[in-house]
This record gives sequence, C-alpha cells and structure tokens, in this order.
Amino acid sequence: MRANNKLSFIIATAALLTATGCKKLLQEQPRSQITPAFFSTAGGILGGIAGVYSDMRFLWGTEGFTNITLAGTDEVLAGGSASGTYWWTYNNILTSDGATTSLWNIAYQDINTLNGVLQFGAVATIDSATKRQYLAQAKFLRAFYYFYLVQTFGSVPLHTSFITNATTSDTRQPIADIYTQIIQDLTEASTQLQVKPTAPFLGKPATQAAALYLLSKVYLTRGWSSAGSPSDFATAATIASNLIANQATYGIGLNPDYATANAPGNEYGQEILFVIDREADLKYGERTTGTRASGSKENGTNFFFRPNYPSVSANYPASGGAAIMTRDIANGRPFIRIRPNTSYVLNQAFVDQADDSRYSKTFQTVWIANTAGISTPRGALTVGKDTGIWTPPYEVPAAQVAAFKGVVFTPLGTNGANAYTTVIFPSMSKYDDPNRADVNDASTRPLILFKFSEVYLLAAEAYFKAGDNTNAAAMLNVIRQRAAYRSTNTAAQNAASVAAMTILPGDVTLDFIMDERTRELFGECQRWWDLVRTQTLNERLQRFNPTEAYTHYSTSSPANAFMLRPIPQSEIDLVTSGPVFPQNPGY
Amino acid sequence: MRASFKPTARETSERIYLLTKLLTIALCVPAAFLLGMPLHAQNTGIHIKGHITNTTGQPVSNATILVKGSRAGISSDESGNFEMVAPPNATLIISSVSFATSTIKVDGRTTINVVLTPANASLDQVIVVGYGTQRKKDVTGSVVSVSGATLQEVPTANVISSLQGRAAGVDIVSNSASPGASGQIRIRGSRSLSAEVTGNSASTNASLTAANDDALNAPLIVVDGIPYGGSINDLNPDDIANLDILKDASATAIYGSRGSGGVIIVTTKRGRPGKSVMSYNGYYGIGNRTKEYKVFNGPEYATLKTQAAAGNTINPGTNAYGLTTAEQAGLANGTSTDWQKLIYRQSHTTNQNLNLSGGTETTQFSLSAGYFQQTGIIPGQDFTRYALRATIDHRISSKLKIGLNMMNTLGYTNLGGNPVGGLVRMSPLVSPYNANGTINSLPETGSIDGSTVNPLSIKYNAAAIVNNNRRLRTFNSLYGEWEIVKYLKYRINVGLDYSQNQSGTYSGPNTFYNSSTSLAAANETVTNAEAYTYTIENLLTYDRTFSEKHHITFTGLYSIQKDHSQTSAFTGTGLPADYIQDYNLNLATSVAANTTTNPGGGNFSERGLISYMARLNYAFMSRFLLTATIRTDGSSVLSPGNQYYTYPAFAAGWNIANEKFMNSITAINTLKLRAGWGITSNQGITPYTTLGALGTNFYNFGPGTAGQNIGYLVQTLANRSLKWQSTTEQNLGLDFGLFKNRITGSIDVYSEKTNNILLAENLPASNGAGSTTVNAGKTKGHGFEIAISSINIQSASGFTWSTDVNFSVDRNQIVQLQNPTLKQDIGNQWFVGQPLTVIYDVKKIGIWQSQDAAQAATFGQVPGQIRVEDLDKNGKITAADRQILGNYQPRWTGGLTNRWAYKGFDLSVVMFARMGQKVVVPYLTTDGSAQGFDFFNNSRNNQVKINYWTPTNSTNAFPRPDASADKFIYASTLGYQDGSFVKVRSINIGYVIPSKLLTGIGITSLRVYVTAENPFIIYSPLVRSGLAVDPEGNGYGGAVTSSAGGSIPNRAITVNLNAPPVRQFNFGVNVKF
Repeated sequence: MRANNKLSFIIATAALLTATGCKKLLQEQPRSQITPAFFSTAGGILGGIAGVYSDMRFLWGTEGFTNITLAGTDEVLAGGSASGTYWWTYNNILTSDGATTSLWNIAYQDINTLNGVLQFGAVATIDSATKRQYLAQAKFLRAFYYFYLVQTFGSVPLHTSFITNATTSDTRQPIADIYTQIIQDLTEASTQLQVKPTAPFLGKPATQAAALYLLSKVYLTRGWSSAGSPSDFATAATIASNLIANQATYGIGLNPDYATANAPGNEYGQEILFVIDREADLKYGERTTGTRASGSKENGTNFFFRPNYPSVSANYPASGGAAIMTRDIANGRPFIRIRPNTSYVLNQAFVDQADDSRYSKTFQTVWIANTAGISTPRGALTVGKDTGIWTPPYEVPAAQVAAFKGVVFTPLGTNGANAYTTVIFPSMSKYDDPNRADVNDASTRPLILFKFSEVYLLAAEAYFKAGDNTNAAAMLNVIRQRAAYRSTNTAAQNAASVAAMTILPGDVTLDFIMDERTRELFGECQRWWDLVRTQTLNERLQRFNPTEAYTHYSTSSPANAFMLRPIPQSEIDLVTSGPVFPQNPGY
Repeated sequence: MRASFKPTARETSERIYLLTKLLTIALCVPAAFLLGMPLHAQNTGIHIKGHITNTTGQPVSNATILVKGSRAGISSDESGNFEMVAPPNATLIISSVSFATSTIKVDGRTTINVVLTPANASLDQVIVVGYGTQRKKDVTGSVVSVSGATLQEVPTANVISSLQGRAAGVDIVSNSASPGASGQIRIRGSRSLSAEVTGNSASTNASLTAANDDALNAPLIVVDGIPYGGSINDLNPDDIANLDILKDASATAIYGSRGSGGVIIVTTKRGRPGKSVMSYNGYYGIGNRTKEYKVFNGPEYATLKTQAAAGNTINPGTNAYGLTTAEQAGLANGTSTDWQKLIYRQSHTTNQNLNLSGGTETTQFSLSAGYFQQTGIIPGQDFTRYALRATIDHRISSKLKIGLNMMNTLGYTNLGGNPVGGLVRMSPLVSPYNANGTINSLPETGSIDGSTVNPLSIKYNAAAIVNNNRRLRTFNSLYGEWEIVKYLKYRINVGLDYSQNQSGTYSGPNTFYNSSTSLAAANETVTNAEAYTYTIENLLTYDRTFSEKHHITFTGLYSIQKDHSQTSAFTGTGLPADYIQDYNLNLATSVAANTTTNPGGGNFSERGLISYMARLNYAFMSRFLLTATIRTDGSSVLSPGNQYYTYPAFAAGWNIANEKFMNSITAINTLKLRAGWGITSNQGITPYTTLGALGTNFYNFGPGTAGQNIGYLVQTLANRSLKWQSTTEQNLGLDFGLFKNRITGSIDVYSEKTNNILLAENLPASNGAGSTTVNAGKTKGHGFEIAISSINIQSASGFTWSTDVNFSVDRNQIVQLQNPTLKQDIGNQWFVGQPLTVIYDVKKIGIWQSQDAAQAATFGQVPGQIRVEDLDKNGKITAADRQILGNYQPRWTGGLTNRWAYKGFDLSVVMFARMGQKVVVPYLTTDGSAQGFDFFNNSRNNQVKINYWTPTNSTNAFPRPDASADKFIYASTLGYQDGSFVKVRSINIGYVIPSKLLTGIGITSLRVYVTAENPFIIYSPLVRSGLAVDPEGNGYGGAVTSSAGGSIPNRAITVNLNAPPVRQFNFGVNVKF
C-alpha cells in the first residue's frame, strides 16, 4: 500500500535520527571555554600569570582604588567632585565599599589562580628553566597580593594551596604567618625570576630587581609592625643597598632628571621597576574609547587630579563672559576628584622650591589659552600664547595680578588674585596622557607602581630605624641631589642647588623622611600605606589635615582603628559556616 | 448553507411517544378544541434565520444548533449564519468549541441573533493537555484555557502581554519599556532561587541574572506540540487559536524536567472543511506617553544648587557645580526647558493580517500573512514583524494522516537608545536653541558636564545612532498519525525551530549618547547568533471504552531534543564616517571580539535531552477520573551517573454533578473535585557547568605584540555531582457550573515544595572563587486561585453582560539554604522563612531634624541626613541594623474583564491588579558609581523632583542636598517604594455592520472597533507621589548597595528611568469575505 510505504519511510527516518543522535546527545563538548586542567600546560601557566596581571587593572588606575591609596592623608584633600567621601573624612566608612571589596576579592581570586598555577605547573611537562621562571612570577604575585592585604586589612586568611572544593568558612591568620609566607615567596622569586625583562614577560613585569625592592619593603614594613623585630630594619637596609650596588646587573638606574621617570613614554625606562601594563590596543589594553565605564579596568588617573578649568569664565569671579578654556587632550578631562592639600604641600613638603625642582615637575600651574575670541576685562587672550589660567604656588604681587590678562588663582588669593577653590587648584601632572585620541579617553599609559628612586627612600628609612643616620642621609642625598637638577639651569646653578639640597646625618628624622617621600612620590598611589606603615597617620593628619580628615579620624574607638581598612561586608556575610568572620575593630 | 430537518427513525419514534403523552393529557382537558394547535405547529414549524457572533461581534462558524429535545442539528456557515425550520415554541441549544453553550427560546421569532460568550470555564470544551487533548470535564489537573478571541481584546505586539491579568495564577510583570517587549512570566510564583551573576559590568550582570531566573522559573512554552524557545515576539498573535496553561504538577509532570514553571501550550489556527474563507484583521494605533517624569524646573534647579551649597558637608557654602554663565542668563530671562517634551513623540502602530483557510474532508489548509509595525515614543525605537504561515492537514487514508505547520517570521527591532535618564539630568536653565534659532549643540558648556551634546541630536544626528536587531525565525512542526489497529494510534511529531539573529550598533560622536567629538571614538558592533532546536517525538496512544463504563487512554512517548546556539560578536572602533554605521567592520581603526554584549566573545552551547513518558487516563462513567504519569528525562548538562531523573504524578477527579443524588439540585450543573500530586523540575543548569570554566582576560607585557597574552583565572569552582532540583506539588481543585452553567469557575488550592535547589552559592572571596553551584536549597509555596466566568445578563433583546474575574494569592518562602544550619545568606539576600526575593537594608525612619542635631552627631550625622533605625540600640548604625523591609511578591493579583454586547455593539473592559509588593526605584538613590542616579541630590545635574530637607523645610521625605557628596549615607533606603497598582489594561468598543448593508460588496461580515490600551491607572501610590510614571518595572538591576552592606539582588525587577508607558488608541476592522 502506498500510504504504508510512506509511513515506513517516516518511521525509518525518525528511527535513524533518533538512534544516531542518541549516543552523542548526552555527551558534553565545550567549545567556547577553557577548563582548569589547562594550567598544566605551558600556555596555561603563562595564561594564569597573565590573567593575574590583567586583574590588577581592576585596582590600580581606577577611581575607587586610587581613593583608598591617597584619600585621608596629609598630601591631598577631596576635590569638588570627590567620590568615596568617607575615605577623605573617616566619617561613616562603608564596610561594603567597592574599592576595599575589590582589593579583597581580586587578591584572593588571583591568589587561588596562582596556587593553581604553582600546583598544576609543578607537574607540567615543560623545560625546567622556563618553568622555574614562570613559577617565580606566580610566587612574586602571590607575595605581592598578600603584602597589600596584610597592610590594608591586618590579619587575613592565608591560603597557599589550590582550592577546588568550595567552603563557606574561613579564618584570619596571625600577621606574622602572613609575613613569613610573603618573605619566603619573595626570597625565592628574587633568585628565580628573570634578571631583566625577557620574552614573554616584556615591559616592566616582575624581575629580580622588583622582587628585591618588594622584599626590602616587606622587611621594613614588618619591622614597624607588631610581628617585626629590630633585625628586620637591618635586613631591609641590606637588601635595598645591595640592589642599589648591583643596579647595573639588573639594568636599572636613576635618571639625571627627576621629571623623566613619570614622563609619558618612559614607563619602561631604567628608573621603573614594575608597572601595571596598559596599551592603546583595545583588546589587550582592555579598554573602550570616548567614555570611561564605571568599575572598568581603565586607567583614569589622567582625570582624577584635573581641576575644572573649563568652568572659569572671562569675568571670573564676577559672572558673565565665555569660558576661557575648552577642554582638550593636552589639558585633560576635568574630574576634580583629588586636589593637593596646599597648606601641607606648599608650606611643609615643597617649601624650598628654589633648589628643589620637583614641585614644578609634579604640578601643572599654567593653562595656555586654547579658545578663540576670549577677552577678560584685562585684555584679549591669544590662543597658544597667552596664559588663560594660572595657579602659581605663591602669592603674586598686586601689580603683576593687575597686568595679568588671564585669571590667576593663588593659595590665599591676596593682592587681587583669586584663592584656590575646591575645583580650581594646581593639577598633579604625573599621570597626564597626551597620546589619546579623544579628550574623554582614559589613559593608555602603563601605571608605574615601583620606581628605583624609592629604593633609596626605603633604604634611608631602614637605616634610620636601624640607628644608622649616616647611611640614611647618604641615601636621601642621592635623591635630593638628583632633584636639584634642572635642564634649564647652568651647571653652576645646578651645582649650587645640589649643595643646598644636601643634608647631614643630623637632619634625618622620621618627619623629614615622610616629607621627602611626598616630594619624591606625591600622588603616586601609596601615601596612605606609607603613613600606616610608619604609624604617622594620626599625628600627620592632626598637623596637616585637621579639618577634613582628623575630625572624625580622632573619634575612632579604639584609637587609630582606622589604620586598618574594614573587612569587606560581603566576606563577613558569606562566611556562613564555622566561626563568625570578625570585622576589624572600630567598624 | 440551508439546514435540513429530517427526523431519523429513532427521533420519529420519540416524537410519537411525545404525541401520545400529549394526547393523554389533552384528553383530560375540557378545552379539547385546542388539541390540534400544537400538533399543527410542530409538524410545520416556522422558518428561522439566525446569526451567531462572539462577544466581540465576530461571526462564529461551525456552531451547532440543536432543537432541544431532538437530536438533529445544523451548523452555522462561515459568516455565522444559519437557517432552519423549528417549532415556534422550540428551544435552541447553540454550542461551539471554546464557547459556552447558549440556550435560546424561539418564542415565535423568525430572526434570532445569538452572542456566544467565551467558555473559559465551560466544561465541554476540549483542552490541550500536552501530548494529547481531553474534554475539560475529564481533566484532572489544574488547567486554564484562554481563547485567541479573549487575547485579542488587548491588541499588543505579543501574546504574552495580552495575557496579563487574564488567567488566575499567571503573573506577568512588565520588565522593559521598549516596543515589542513581553514581560516576565511566572505561573504560581517562583520556586527556585537563582543566584546573582557577579562580575564587573552591572548592566550585563543584571540581564544575565534575570535570564538565569527566567531559565529557572519561567514556564515552558509549547507551540503545536513542539517546545518553543526564544522570543515570544516571533509568534503572530493573530495566528493563535488558543492558549492552555497547565499549572499544577500533576498536569506538567509529562514535561518532566521542564515542567516546574508551568506550561503554556499554544495552539495555532488551522483550516477546516468547507468553503474557503478569507479574512482580514487590521488596526492602526496612535499612542502618547501617559506621563513625563516630573523634574525640577529652572528656578527650582537653581534653588537646588543653592541649597546643595548650603548643605555641603565638606566645604560648607561651596558648590563645585554653580550655575554657568548661560544658566545665570537663563535664570534671569525665565528659561525653563522641558527636555522630555522635546524628545518624546507620538507612537504609531499598524497591524494587518490576511488569512485564507478552508479545505475538504480529506485536506484542510490555512495560509496567513501578517504585518505588525510599532514605533516607540522615543525617536529611533521601533519594532516590525512580517509573519508568513501555512498549515496543511491531509488524510491519506482512513488510517493515515499527516500535517505540517510552517511559521516564518522576520522581526526588526530598533532600540535606538534610552535618553530618559539623560533628559532628566539636563539643565532646565539652558535653551536647546541659540538666539538665532540654530541648535545649541553644547547647551551645558561651562559646567563640568559641558561636553554633553544637545538631546535634539537624537533627531538631527540620527544616522549616528544605531541599535538594531534582525531576527529570522522558522518554526516548523510536522506530524504523521497512523491508526495501527483499532484504538491504537502511532504518531510522530518532528519539530525544527531555527532562528538567526543579526544585531548591529553604531555610536557616532557628537550625539547625546556619545559626547566624543572625534570619529576616532565612534564604535560599531556586529553580533550574529544562530540557534536551532530539533525535537523528535514518538507517541503511541491507546484509547478505548470497555463495557461503556471504563474509558482508558494510554499514552507512551519516546522523544529526543537537541538545542544548539552559537554567537559571535565583534566591535570596531574608529570609523571614517557616520554613514558607515555597522555596515563595514573593515573600515574601523581596530576590530576586536565584543565581550560587552557577548561575555566570552564567542559563545557555543548545546544540550541534549532524551525522554520516556507514559500516561494512563481512566474514567469510570464520567464520574471517577484517574490520571497517572511517569516521565524519565536524561540530560547532557549533568555529569555522567546523574543524568537521568524520573518524575511521577497522579491525579484523581470526581464529577459530583454526574452522581444521582445531585439530580435534584438543578442549580448545580457541573461540580467536579480534582486532586493531584506530582514531581517536576527545571533545566536551570547551563551546559558545561559541571566541567568548570576559567575566566578569560587579556594583558600586554610591554609594548608591541610580543608580550600580548590571553589570561585565565579561576572564578568559579565546579561541582561534578550536580543533579536536578525537584518540585513536589499538591493541588486540590473544584470546578463548578451553576444556573445552567451561566456561572462557571474553578477554585484551586495548592502547595509545593522544592528540594535540591541549584544554588550558585556565593563563596567568601577569600576561598578563591566567587561562587560554586550546589544542590542545597529548599523552598515551599502555597496559593489559592479562583476564576469565575458569569453571564450576568442575557436578555431576550440580545443584550448580554458577562464577566470574567480571577484572583490569586501565591506565597513562597525559603525553607533551607546551602546547609541546614544556615538561616541567612546575606550576600545573596536569602533568608529562611522569607520570600525568595526580599529587600534587606537599614530602615529609614525619617530625616534628622535640626532639634535632633546632638543625637545625630552621636551617629556621625548632621541634620538633613537620612535617619535610620538603630535596631540593636547600640548607638551605632552597623550591618547588624539591617532588616527585612519588604519583598517583591504581591499580596494578591487579579484580573477583571467585563463584556457587554447589544445588537451588533460590543464593549469590553480589561482590568488587572497587583497589590502589596515593593519595587526598587534606583533613580531616587545613588552609590556614586555605576548604580542609582549619579549625583542624585548633589545638584550637579537636574533630577526627578523630590521634596528635600532644608533648615526651613523639615520634611522626612528626602535628605538635604549636599554638593560635596557623590553618594550619601543610607541613600539606598530612598529607593524602596510601594509597587501596588490597579490598572485598566484596555477598553474595546466594536460594532458589527448589519449584514444587509454588506450585500453585494463581497463582504460577509464587517466589524469596526476602537481600542484604548493602557487608558488609565486606577490606583498606584508610587505614581500618585509623583516620583514615577508607572508602577510596573521596566528592567533589571541598577539598585544601589546599602550603606550598611548588602545589595538588592539583580534578579529583582526595578523601576528605572525609561520610556514612559504609552496610552494608545487603536482603530480596527475585522472583515470576512
């Protein structure tokens, strides 16, 4: 029968489809994702390490994280558009703050990946010298994260093996144990890492020099801490001075000019020890153009320190008149997040600007007119020639103010000038990026984390704590004498400045070292930890930031509780078995 | 068609019996002369012409018209007309599938117009129950049926939004504001807990979390027997004949691992034997926004800035966001621009459908073509759908039948952008135009947001804004049916569902959405996605009645299904010209895989399902009913060894009305008690979950390509022992029909327990990974549903008034979390004993007032800031002061549809309500970062108008503006609002043109109608407060993290700044040729 033939055909087809489909139907074959066993291959080890480096972009360079490195210190005050206000004031600090939570979450996620790399990688069948170098990267990075965790949160969980089974309990370990682990990892890394950057770890990733820098700082920090011993200072000093002594071996050294290290394009220069890398390439630079997405991995440091220069109108402070400046790439995107604490910066740290060149190499104070057809009551401004806005670090004589065609802002606003405001102030220029396509683009510059010049400061601090002021002064003098150099000066002028900048062992005090760190490292994303390490936070806030920060800082109970950041609330909430995860005191 | 009225032999004998009886009575009556009259009349009868329509005035064809007491009947023709000869005192019984049976006395009339009311609860209708059909009176599960005609009373782009408020226990919540958006469907609430998707991009996370929640809790949709995935927008509502919604586990267990969220079975229209009928349905609609967001006007905005300076907590008296020169001038000359008014436009909707159907006894066909176009009220937003469909059913022999349904849709969605948040932000003190009438391209020049481009650029620079999606979908189902022997049938269903999506975006510079000034910052994305599903089902059905008492139906199934999807997406940056848009990636400066819209860059996913099912239905004399089902599903997404899971279900029914003792109770026509029990689950594990995956990122070591590397991170921990969660549900129901079934309805009570819930357990970060998936949670729920349809008035003059009302209550709560001792999981916002999604935060109790300054200071606060409850009274606000403030579960939901019809006129009003739930309104809060409304109450930008605190305005509503704060303490508490509402969904007025006016123009019936969609909101405290335009949600996420820790889960639907709802008036016709 015809119909039955058709039917047989249908059934046969269906049966065939069903039978062939069936066998494979319940087997899984992922095609767009990678599974953890990949870490036991050469590509996997490298990928795990690259993954951790990439994760750091969520921290350094982002707004929230920049806040917790600088806000609430002596160096800076909140800009008119500052975010994370409680970090600036220590008032009602959020335990669920995004920046501290990110540091915590990213650090531990990366530590587990590194533990996986170390565990799987140990059995990977690759050339042993390569493997040794790769695994040394993992050790360096693990130590790196634990060091930031212990400085920020105090006693924290310590995991050194790969976690594959989920648990919901965790406990905090004594800081002594954490320092021991960090020192072990860094000690090994400092001999196993590459001496100079070589492929595939090009640019300025972890090298033996970077490991030694960090090891010296770890000993120094432990020395100050409750887990430390006096010998830590001596060890720190030895490591630092050895690194200085062997700088040629590592291919590092100081530039003659202080400004060189932070200048755009010099991120892989001889003075740089370690960067969080970035590049213009959208894929590997993990960025977008035109906008800066919140919570992204983009480096926004080129925005945060910018005052609101396009808001100054020609008739300032009276209303009316067009804006003198238009935002452009050279002058940056005005984010107004962070402004210098000028009473400290000008009256304490940078009080000697005649011999010390570093203030002018740290701040932009001149805004050349960039908008056509602007006239102030004092005259018309020529684009590219006249100064539209000027924020000198001193009071300008009345005659000069009256003759100045643009608008002038001075620290106190005397003699007819305007005083700095929360939105108009000298702009820290170290992170400027002139090589962007669009004014609203985030920076494509690698973020400099460790500089060789700081090794001298670490050594000075370590010698000072070890009671050796002679060597401490010698170390500081290297930095200070370099700071005297101006390319525009004659040799004689420079020599005179060098003499003026040179200090004697008797001049070395903790206060002096801390001021010197400001002069050398202003705005470089480590001040808060420096003040915490040296236990000078309380005293320096009281002296230099009495209103904005100290008012609430001083009310903490117990006293100085704010020398630790709060454990992220999510960690406390998610530890749901075993003992309750304790919050730091005072929060 | 002219009906014959020839009595059969048996009927003749009945009539003789009747005559004998009448004669006997007559003999006892003195007035013997009357004897002849009824005899005469009955023998001759009168000629009756009749017309049958539904409540919307459309003709009902193929209705059966019976003279009461006789067995002979005729059918109405395609125009709903019939002619017959019947006694003048006869009673006509008119019945049709999916309509309530109507009984009409002839009373000597020769013209009878009948309006049939939909039979939502009629017990005679046929219900599609999955892998077969059943008479409603034999159904033992909780099933609700909604006819296509009912759905068309709310003309919308898709069938799901028409279903809103129409069926008890089916809760549909709006979750988008774009044209053609459907909504979130939940049948009997949620059962499963879906964990938060965490990561770095808030908006992506929210949509992923919402998608996960849908995968766990949304119903399975089955179209003509084949499971349907993907967008409901691809179904043309005009092609739908009927929806049957299976609610309880005894009904859904036949879908086993996909049944726990309920099942919506869609039956499409097919051809019928008879003359070919062509019909045209079309309407044109004009829509306008119901409301605008109320923002500060010019002077109020200036005052806000002044007040924010006064309230500056860091540098008192200063405001970094002072008025610009242009704003000062604007304030002086009275400028107060309403930016929203400049952008919103009228929306237009066109819907056209042409259908041809007919056939012979052996072959039936239907062909239809549909066109739907809707423009949004925001320029650039529109949705267009072309639908083409053909069905054919052919009987090869008495034992063989085959059929095919091919549905093809091509949908174009243009989303444009969402400017609403930006429009709210714009300064009202600046003018959109320059003094000379040209466009003021940078109206906020001089302010910190001076680079903001004029919103009018959405219109004048439209070429630079592209966000479109084109989807081609072909959904095909083929069946063959063979009656092997008497009572035993074999059926094969083969389904192929294929779709291809192409999306493109382009964001050029100098627009409101992209304020970059250079084409170097322009970017385009191109996304391509392919998905297919094939299903092969082999069914055996044995259907036989023994001894006229025992009716047995056995159904056996073996089926396989495979789902496949893959996506690739690319983004290009830096374009040479705006008009290149998304057409050529090669012209972009750089091209990369797009991981923003397509996490992972390229996605590939496949899953397989092998199923065996057996079902036995047993009915004893239509009095006692029994259904037993067992299904086994094997799934590829579980680890070997855990792949198969079995789902049993039982149900029983008792048709009490069929018992003898009920015969005397004439008021009750139908009474059926149902009880059911079953186990089901959902497929909420994404493929490859048990394998574990590494996160991917990118890094460059140094400059150049030598150091560029892909990075990998462990972000989740895999769990190889995962299995399905299971929901056990009991249902007790009562179906009733009173007063000749004029009042019908059903009442259901149910309870359910879900075990082994798949929880993506968020882990303490210190343990190395964000989350893992575990089978651990338990939830339970219970609820109550009642649905009643009544014909309130059915007068002889043809006036009818009928009402459908439904009411449901659903409660669910968490019973157990990741381990039995755990009482709360704050990270996921889960609390034992609480509903599945709650708000957990500190509780705002007002604003600190001036007289309480000293007390405020003890909390580190100042007057004007938000005052929250110090729950533990320890003098500090900490995480311990958080408490449960409400949840998203409505206290009750309900719908009410009233229909009136009179002489060709019909009117229907559809209303629905959701009461007692909270919503989160993110734009009344801020966290200084990605969530909430950036710079809310800071005065940097304009915002929704609020009543804020000042030293002279001691309100407790909103805190004092503070120019120093990009976020302020306890801001999150401002967003929790009462989301209750009662809305009128649509009002529909129609008129059927009398057929005598149509003779000679080739039209057999013509109805014209006007519909008002979303005409008004009856009750909504949120809208009344002026803080929102609509109480229904329009998206996910955006909620602000609490200052005290913890956040609102991303799965929660939020009411954010988006296109306001549209009030639309449609003008339409239904024509039959």
